Amino acid sequence: MDKYVDIAIIGSGVVGSSIAYHLSESRQKEIIVIDKGFPLSGTSGSTQAWVWVHNKSPSWYGELSMYSAELYPFLEKKIGDVEYKRTGGIAPFFDEEDREKALKLAEKQAEVGIKVEVLNRNQVLEKEPVLSSKIAGATYSSIDGNVNPFRLVELYIKAAKKNDVKFSFYNPVIDIKKESGFFRITTKNEGTYTAEKIILAGGPWTKELGSFLGIDIPVKQVRGQILVTEPLAPLFRHTIAGMRQTDNGEVLIGYSKEEVGYDRRTTMEVIQDTAKMAVDYIPALANANLVRSFSGVRVIPEDGFPIVGEISNIKNAYLAVMHSGVTLSPLVGTLMAELLLEGETSIDLGRLSLDRFEKKSNGAVVQ
Amino acid sequence: MDKSTIVCKCEEINIDEIETALKAGACQFDDIKRLTRCGMGPCQSKVCTNMVREIIAAYTGEPMEHIEYPKNRMPIKITRLGVLVANQETSSVVSVFKESVSEVDTNG
Ligand SMILES: Cc1cc2nc3c(=O)[nH]c(=O)nc-3n(C[C@H](O)[C@H](O)[C@H](O)COP(=O)(O)OP(=O)(O)OC[C@H]3O[C@@H](n4cnc5c(N)ncnc54)[C@H](O)[C@@H]3O)c2cc1C
Ligand code: FES
Repeated sequence: MDKYVDIAIIGSGVVGSSIAYHLSESRQKEIIVIDKGFPLSGTSGSTQAWVWVHNKSPSWYGELSMYSAELYPFLEKKIGDVEYKRTGGIAPFFDEEDREKALKLAEKQAEVGIKVEVLNRNQVLEKEPVLSSKIAGATYSSIDGNVNPFRLVELYIKAAKKNDVKFSFYNPVIDIKKESGFFRITTKNEGTYTAEKIILAGGPWTKELGSFLGIDIPVKQVRGQILVTEPLAPLFRHTIAGMRQTDNGEVLIGYSKEEVGYDRRTTMEVIQDTAKMAVDYIPALANANLVRSFSGVRVIPEDGFPIVGEISNIKNAYLAVMHSGVTLSPLVGTLMAELLLEGETSIDLGRLSLDRFEKKSNGAVVQ
Repeated sequence: MDKSTIVCKCEEINIDEIETALKAGACQFDDIKRLTRCGMGPCQSKVCTNMVREIIAAYTGEPMEHIEYPKNRMPIKITRLGVLVANQETSSVVSVFKESVSEVDTNG
């Protein structure tokens, strides 16, 4: 039972689904997306989903994030309402000494066209009166916002299906081999697929997918835990670096980082730290009722930046693995479609190549 | 039963919406939850769990005891956020601002 496709995408999270959708727009290729679970069972279903730009440094990385944020309104016109809101983003700091660093960040980001304002306490409180008066200041940009990650992935998939992309869920890929120029992808439930091109978008499991092809993909798994309040009356409008309020009034709070492997438990210690952060930022939250907590596992390449592009020693095999995949998905989908269909991209992907890690281990200078 | 019967009272999700999720390939409570918000309300699925499991069982033809429960998360009971605040010396929570002005940055 051998099935042939032009392009196989492994992973139907926000990254794989976006690539599938963008590739399908031209309707040139037969495409399948294979996922071992159901969409949103990976990291894309347990995320804060800020579309965040202004704190992404160095500035070339901020610039990529900005291009992606700029694509959101257009994307929404094409695939439907993903509840994207450009709320503006506030990243508070508590020490007056940090102002100088904030100004430096603003200067760097301005070089690539990201407008960052450095606010003083009064300006912060003017924007968001519920914030703590202990805050010394904040960096602010109107480009930041957030999106509903559930709607986003659902609508990427819906739009891709409409363009004839096939999806196979609950079907783990257990082996990948390259034979006479084609990839033979063994799945647990549907036998083998043969594909001309393959894209690995396995999020936190990408290392395992790489090992099928004999390559090491240098990523780490970093857990984040999030607290969710009951629906509250509108409390704040902006996305605040640490929390956001959803359309239905819930406040999602958290920005913790722990390297504990693929472990999605929540822990009392982090819940307490997160509660403290919440109240330090917005004292009124002390009275809010918490209904839920969840955790997700970020996949973060070892130097922090996305790995996107063709794997240089395996022709026709591509990689798309990154942190901040929600922010970056419109851009990464667009660029991957350009790369696979036209052979070149409108933005140079050289910096994002897997090769940068090899160079490092050889002692050569990177970037 | 009428397909517009509400199953999840907190999130106002009806039978039809749950069946639509099942038709899209959802197999478990948590799959349906992520698509519809069913079970994510203030009662955290205490009220709707079994009704949803029954619909899954009827749709898939599996016996009830094979249908998984939604994942339960802390706090199991509604808790006031202020009660949880503890003054620990170090924090696992990092500052986005601080990360963005340090050399290496991996925030988001
Ligand atoms: C707590 C937290 C907060 C975050 N906040 C933000 C934020 O505010 N903004 C932002 O932009 N990003 C944020 N992120 C990061 C963002 O969520 C991720 O970058 C993004 O979801 C990654 O998407 P993905 O498609 O690569 O991975 P996933 O969603 O994990 O998808 C990978 C898919 O591959 C499938 N798969 C893996 N191996 C196999 C196999 N062998 N066979 C078949 N299928 C396979 C999995 O089942 C999975 O569905 C956050 C992450 C966390 C954990
Ligand atoms: S009834 Fe479904 S969450 Fe309360």
